[in-house]
Amino acid sequence: MSVLDRIKEIDKEFEAEAGKDITAAGLDGMRVKFLGRKAELTGILRSVASLPADQKKDTGKAANMLQRKISERLEEMGKRLAEEKRRDRDEIDVTMPGIAASPGVPHPLTQVMDRINDIFVSMGFIIADGPEIETEFYNFEALNIPLDHPSRDAFDTFYIEGEHLLRSHTSNVQIHLMQNTRPPIQAIMPGRVYRPDAVDASHSFMFHQVEGLMVDKGIRFSDLKGTLSGFCGAMFGKDTKTRVRPHFFPFTEPSAEVDISCIICGGKGCRVCKSSGWLEIMGAGMVDPLVFEKVGYDAEKYTGFAFGMGVERIAMLLYGIEDIRFFYENDIRFLGQFK
Amino acid sequence: MKLSYNWIKEHVDISDSPETLAEKLTMTGSEVGSIEKVGDDTVMELEITSNRPDCLSMLGLSREAAAVSGADLNTPYATSCAPGKGAVSDMSVKCSIKAPELCPRYTARVIRGVTVGEVSAGISGRIGALGVRPVNNIVDVTNFCLFESGQPMHAFDLDKIKGGVVEVREAAKGEKIITIDGVERSLESGMLVIADKERPIAVAGIMGGKDTEVTSSTTNILLESAYFDPVSVRRTSRKLGLTTDSSYRFERGVDTSFVMPASERATSLIIREAGGKAGGLYDSGPYGSPPVEIHLDIGRASGILGISLDQEEVIKILKWLGMEVFSGEAGSVKVRVPSFRGDVSREIDLVEEIARIHGFGGIPDTVPRPAPWTPRKTRERKVLEKTKKILCSLGLSEIMTYSLISEEAARTFPGLCDEVVKIMNPLSAEHETLTPHLMDGMLKVISWNINRANKDLKLFEVGKKYSRVPGKAAFRESHMLAVGITGNVEKNWAEGEKQASLYSVKGVLERTAECLRTRFDIEPTDIEGFVNAAEISAHGVSAGFIGEVSPDKLEIYGISQKVFVSQVDLREVFSRAVLIGAYSPIPKFPFSTRDLSVLCDRSVTVSSIRAIADALGGDLLRKTDVVDMYEGKQIPPDKKSVTFSFTYGLLDRTLTDEEVEEAHSRIKEGLVSKLGVTFR
Repeated sequence: MSVLDRIKEIDKEFEAEAGKDITAAGLDGMRVKFLGRKAELTGILRSVASLPADQKKDTGKAANMLQRKISERLEEMGKRLAEEKRRDRDEIDVTMPGIAASPGVPHPLTQVMDRINDIFVSMGFIIADGPEIETEFYNFEALNIPLDHPSRDAFDTFYIEGEHLLRSHTSNVQIHLMQNTRPPIQAIMPGRVYRPDAVDASHSFMFHQVEGLMVDKGIRFSDLKGTLSGFCGAMFGKDTKTRVRPHFFPFTEPSAEVDISCIICGGKGCRVCKSSGWLEIMGAGMVDPLVFEKVGYDAEKYTGFAFGMGVERIAMLLYGIEDIRFFYENDIRFLGQFK
Repeated sequence: MKLSYNWIKEHVDISDSPETLAEKLTMTGSEVGSIEKVGDDTVMELEITSNRPDCLSMLGLSREAAAVSGADLNTPYATSCAPGKGAVSDMSVKCSIKAPELCPRYTARVIRGVTVGEVSAGISGRIGALGVRPVNNIVDVTNFCLFESGQPMHAFDLDKIKGGVVEVREAAKGEKIITIDGVERSLESGMLVIADKERPIAVAGIMGGKDTEVTSSTTNILLESAYFDPVSVRRTSRKLGLTTDSSYRFERGVDTSFVMPASERATSLIIREAGGKAGGLYDSGPYGSPPVEIHLDIGRASGILGISLDQEEVIKILKWLGMEVFSGEAGSVKVRVPSFRGDVSREIDLVEEIARIHGFGGIPDTVPRPAPWTPRKTRERKVLEKTKKILCSLGLSEIMTYSLISEEAARTFPGLCDEVVKIMNPLSAEHETLTPHLMDGMLKVISWNINRANKDLKLFEVGKKYSRVPGKAAFRESHMLAVGITGNVEKNWAEGEKQASLYSVKGVLERTAECLRTRFDIEPTDIEGFVNAAEISAHGVSAGFIGEVSPDKLEIYGISQKVFVSQVDLREVFSRAVLIGAYSPIPKFPFSTRDLSVLCDRSVTVSSIRAIADALGGDLLRKTDVVDMYEGKQIPPDKKSVTFSFTYGLLDRTLTDEEVEEAHSRIKEGLVSKLGVTFR
């Protein structure tokens, strides 16, 4: 076998070994075997000078090339091994759960009330607050709801003692506000109200309302319509249609109920809207001159509108909640869904 | 209120389908809840508002249907049946009104020789469509007339009236009556009754008595048609817990001018259905105010509604509604209101009538004049909203609990319970007291969740507590913040579990105060029901507490794990919150820190160490942090070791090591001399 053939054999041997999985120790062994002082290739290179002249050039070139190749390949393999080793040491399972503290959740009723408040604040309404323990005058009399009148049917009330009761609507704040300030008035009154309804899926003896009041010179029924359809669009989506129907409230004239196109079915008719395509969402109307009289406003000079809505009802419609009691059970599996 | 489509077609030439009519009624104020086929008739369920008693009859609904659809009304109402008018000799009973305030008009008609039996199909079909079961021809006719005209009437068996007397009077205390429904009812003075010589024979306007009801053997009857005072009927009806088709109408007010026509109509129908002859009539005489006349300024009406009303249209609408309209000066009309519209007495009432027939849909949406001020929220509300945001970011979820709790629950924490406010008519003992603290609600929610296997809870509530101002008929409502933490405050696979402690609650309050750029002080105190309780005060005012709920109280709520809570008065504790504070420059020169492990008696508080450090560190001491606390085997049992990290620095230059060392030594010496501590 010529030396040249032997060099080709060594190359094959190297390729065979390099093709296998190799450890750092194995790599050191290969370095000794193929490049070491006692390696065959090293011996060939050392003996090139003593070869016959016709073989000297080709053999020397082939041996040099192989030595360079093996050296480069071993270096490359060394780097790869080191890289693999580093990766082995640092690698983490990125599919493990991440770690961060969970934020808490504002109560869904707070979220809905804040949304309602913010829309009206952006329209220039201020937010007014008032007592829940109220007198007959502020809850009923000043609002033209006489004793022993069928209009009281809608306002069953918890009584405390004497003239005191738990307000059955936040309208009492309207009276306080009008007594304490002169027009213009432009305010909403969010808050808790109470009615002695036995608790079931759709009734609660305690619930939340947001009422509103605007009083000034020249306030029109059309302003009421514009304000409330603006609100409904912002609250329920700009494609929501609003319709206003005549109704009766003792404290407004004309009085109205406000419906929105059903946000569940889009107005086609479903279980929630009882196939009507509409959802009743608010009561409203022009402030009755009798109410102005009670607070000492000149009904010839000022007009105004008022409206009111139930926060629980709106929250139930928005989120598709079927039982009003869920709001007061405060099960964290419920609350946690409103992130 | 049910509407029979076929029935009203007798009175109004309506061409609208039932569905179209329903839509029109809904959009003009009589909301139709459902439409149902009953035989060949269509029956609608209407919500008639309490101001519209005139719509509680087919005649009234016909008028309304005519007005809303522009159809012609034909009211072929038999107002004269020409019975033997005023033939007193035929009466056989002497009628009198002893309480004219409560009964301003009473009529009673004798009809003799009737044969009680089944009513004709024409009448039973009509009332049957409305869900009224036939009884006998006399009662069915009075029911028919009630639904036709809205005037309730009652027929007595004339021969069972004792002593030849019918009196309309107030009941005497202790009197009783068995009403037609078979129930014995105790009457009170103030309740209006119809009575004979011996006893009440009807509760006026509500229900007749069993003893004098029309039966199959009745041959002579006395037909009552009257106007009873609405307030009186309503009070009596509510006291007796008895609402009838009759009381429902009387308490809303029947048409004063229809008492007699309705009686005559019923009389003629009874004679037609049951035979017999009309006898004598008692009539106390007409009652009712003179017709209301209203001046309507069309310009003003237009201004209120935001549309431009046309005089022609206004007149047309008002006439549709049965009003008499007289042209006045240009731009105004004079309107005479019919007696059945007792709810219309002012110009604004006419404006509403015009608006609803014109259609609310025809009034445009307009934007009111510009707001008189720029959008704003009160500072208090901004602080509240920010506080809630901070608490949520700290991992606490908001709860909302009932303000009405049991008195027992209120008194579970006597230290938090001032004079309680009680409800006179509670739904149940569970909800009879306005809550004097937020602890009951918090613990109930914690218990509810633990019972459902959710044991790691971080909760807060912003709610009111209610109390009575001692010795006065006045009440106080204060906005409170409650915090409740239990179980693990942290739990994950990498770092394991971290149990809640009182410091978890305190930390929440501290971080919140920090974000609001305010602070509070805390001092140990005793509150019944709490362990390690501490009082929180802000700027010298007591504002609340923190503590661990004691095991005996937890047991009441069925909780067997530690619960840490706080309740603070929001207005007090965050009264000086800063929402937009001035910026302070970031220090340009580096600060130095020195750690110090202080070994001291367990009774020495961190706040006392801080106070000494603050006093002695002067301007150079920027910050004092607690980085470790140790109690245990490596130090004597009555000692604790607290490690502080003191930060020293100045804003205008870098401190030299010597300066830092000097300040630090000064603090160390002070702690030794004042508190007798050593250093580890």
